[in-house]
Amino acid sequence: MENILTDLAEIMEVEKVAESDKLTEFDCWDSLTALSIIAFADENYKVTLSNKELLEVETIGGLIELIKTKKG
Amino acid sequence: MNLTFHNKTITGILTVLPSKEVKFEDEMESYNFSVAKSLKLKMAMGYSKHRIVEDGVTISDLCVFGLNNLFENELLRKEDMDALILVTQSPEYFMPPTSNVIQGKLGLKQDMICMDINQGCAGYEIGLFQAFMLLDQDEINKVVLVNADILSKKVSKRDRNSNPLIGDGASVTIVEKSKKPNTIFANIKMDGTAFDALIIPAGGFKTPSTPETAAMIEDAAGNFRSLDNLVMKGDDVFNFVQREVPPMIEDLLSRAGINKQSVDYFMFHQPNKFMLNKLADKLEIPHEKMPSNIVENFGNASGVSIPTAITYNLGERLISESYLICLAGFGVGLTWASILLEVGQLKFNTIINY
Repeated sequence: MENILTDLAEIMEVEKVAESDKLTEFDCWDSLTALSIIAFADENYKVTLSNKELLEVETIGGLIELIKTKKG
Repeated sequence: MNLTFHNKTITGILTVLPSKEVKFEDEMESYNFSVAKSLKLKMAMGYSKHRIVEDGVTISDLCVFGLNNLFENELLRKEDMDALILVTQSPEYFMPPTSNVIQGKLGLKQDMICMDINQGCAGYEIGLFQAFMLLDQDEINKVVLVNADILSKKVSKRDRNSNPLIGDGASVTIVEKSKKPNTIFANIKMDGTAFDALIIPAGGFKTPSTPETAAMIEDAAGNFRSLDNLVMKGDDVFNFVQREVPPMIEDLLSRAGINKQSVDYFMFHQPNKFMLNKLADKLEIPHEKMPSNIVENFGNASGVSIPTAITYNLGERLISESYLICLAGFGVGLTWASILLEVGQLKFNTIINY
């Protein structure tokens, strides 16, 4: 999972992301970005996320935690 | 609606794909979208490349090429073709049926039935249903089901909703009476209230094509298309599929008395990778049992997508082996249908390039 911050930065269309960054506050936040995170988690970590879960985790850190937990 | 068929079998599948391959990156510039967003779209949906016919090529070219290939390789004889069913939404003319045009071009016997069916995403299932029904006739022993579409011609190059995923192609499936008794379970539903979820608005009798219908108009999401172009309400179609398809499959399998683990493959229509993976998750089917690699390699050629998935993923294996396969098509109409059947010991199961 060491590259996850870099990968998420690419999805969020920024240089760097911090764990405290709020998902919905990124300039590029839209349905395609949400879909990209869902596809990214599926493809790279075999984790199925729902749109609802994405909104509940709020931050990048929360998202990483969720992926880790679901990955088991 | 539940359907049951008896003593019918598929004996060969051939897929004909145009040789021309277009990469997602080469068309990205036409989309009203940043490069970063286009690449995100590519990743999320599993887009990569697709097969498109050259200008001037129509479905009868692909169909005649495919059938001639079978005649030349002695895999099919003209005189054995008792029916030619063509499922397409890219007919050559409003009249006559394109299946008659193909019959004439190939010099097939007059003592047969030619029939066009207007269906798309569920066109493989609808075509098989029709083939099974015709085979109940005493004098019909071999039905040739042809699925063919070249809808890339109707999709705007500036429509990132539809252009990256559309593909062209044709497939030939031979359907016969089975020597071994069998029962094929199937089901189908329709919802014509959502007839405009996938539609080419102009060009028919209701709204003939005019210079006005050819005018490119920008939609709320920044896609440019005209009324002559295919338009898809992507979100509605996605939601419809996730809502209707899993219960349809559960019903089919429970009526057949088969559990999911006993099904070897789920060969579904191929709208995009994301949608298929979501369906597999919802149905709790391992992704390897539900191939989703057709859009990324060839594009979605409507009713041709299932035979393409079967020929590409199982190929030669279906000549020596036999598998229990669940088919499902869903989309334009709206129409959704599924079939559970044993497929194997085929005479041929391959892809050729036009």
